[in-house]
Amino acid sequence: MGPFAVAMIVLAVIIIFMGAKVVPQGFEYTVQRMGRYTMTLRPGFHIIIPVIDVIGAKINMQEQVLAIPSQEAITRDNAMVRVDGVVFYQVLDAAKAAYEVRQLEHAILQLTMTNIRTVMGGMDLDELLSQRDRINAKLLNVVDDATAPWGIKVTRIEIKDMQPPTDLIDSMARQMKAEREKRANILEAEGVRQAEILKAEGEKQAAILAAEGRREAAFRDAEARERSAEAEARATDMVSTAISAGNPLAINYFIAQKYVTALESFARSPSQKLVFMPLEASSVIGSIGGIQELWKGLGDAGASGSGIPSAGRPRS
Amino acid sequence: MEHFASVTELLVMDHWTWAIIAVALVSIEILAPGIAFLWLGLAAGAMALLLIVIPGLSLGLQGVIYAVLAVVSVFLGRKILRRNPIATEDSLLNRRGAQYVGRVFTLENPLINGRGKIRVDDTTWVVEGPDLPAGTHVRVTAVEHVILRVERVEG
Repeated sequence: MGPFAVAMIVLAVIIIFMGAKVVPQGFEYTVQRMGRYTMTLRPGFHIIIPVIDVIGAKINMQEQVLAIPSQEAITRDNAMVRVDGVVFYQVLDAAKAAYEVRQLEHAILQLTMTNIRTVMGGMDLDELLSQRDRINAKLLNVVDDATAPWGIKVTRIEIKDMQPPTDLIDSMARQMKAEREKRANILEAEGVRQAEILKAEGEKQAAILAAEGRREAAFRDAEARERSAEAEARATDMVSTAISAGNPLAINYFIAQKYVTALESFARSPSQKLVFMPLEASSVIGSIGGIQELWKGLGDAGASGSGIPSAGRPRS
Repeated sequence: MEHFASVTELLVMDHWTWAIIAVALVSIEILAPGIAFLWLGLAAGAMALLLIVIPGLSLGLQGVIYAVLAVVSVFLGRKILRRNPIATEDSLLNRRGAQYVGRVFTLENPLINGRGKIRVDDTTWVVEGPDLPAGTHVRVTAVEHVILRVERVEG
């Protein structure tokens, strides 16, 4: 085989190796003809003119994730917070991503970092910690607009971690604890107050009921007294009626009886003392005399002659 | 040169030799995919067939013909592929904007001066179209880089 033939074969091999291009799925290659961008090769088999055409950039068309390194940012209320996050982006226009911007990833990263600072600087710490979705939306809006000329689409930006300084975290924890303790104390006081009120209510109720009881009892007592007075009056009335209707001497009988009984009980008294009492025998006699009178009365009523019935008195 | 010629003189370049070269090149292609060796292999196979038809070509001529065949095979390959494009199950892979063509969205904010933004799934896209008030339903008709073209959905 002659040298010419060998040279031809070498040339053919070079042409094939430089001209036949297979672009894998997920990538797009830009082609530069004499240094100038001409076209973009999509996934598949392509032939470019060797030497004249050169593959410029191999752009990854998949969605990619960039980690945003942790950085310190100052909030509106002057708290230093450490934040990091992630950016998801996808190249939509390979040519723009290749030629409109140098170091695409670096550019996206810097843009996102500065915008995180901007957004955080306009918010208070409390807002920051509670409104991440709003921060994410704001960031996405700004960064997406800014990166549009580079032919990329930023699909989402997420703040991953927010770390306020340790002493701030401590005071936040203390604040939360105090808040809860306050609530607990208030609840306890409420409970005590309720209990006291209920107790007082109970006592009031009890007092009212007791007074009502006493009032009722007093009423009943008064009634009883009235009734007994009434009975007394009636009894007296009846006695006086009886006396006025009958012989007053009948009373004397009863009195005398009582008198004698009293004397008897004195006599039987176990005390060894002598009891001197002004014994008016005459009145005892008198009372006996009264009995005699009674008899007389009875006798008159029964048409009998003498008061005292004498034993062995012959019948007339 | 004397020495080089003598080495090639020792090689008997008949159709069998080309067939062996073809098999070797295709094997290399299978082991290390990169499409380049395939054409060289195909050209070697063609040379083997050519030598069956016209035996006794000089070595130099064989080399030149082989070189030409190799280059021609690449272009033939591309022509065949253009006529019969590689079928894919998902032609929208890695073409994010194109996935939205034909879908209908609702404008949250009005389109002013032919530009605005719509919420698409969990992100936002810049759209271009006629000026429309918020709340209008729009259909994506095309995608241009990072901008979706929209038109009003009637009804």
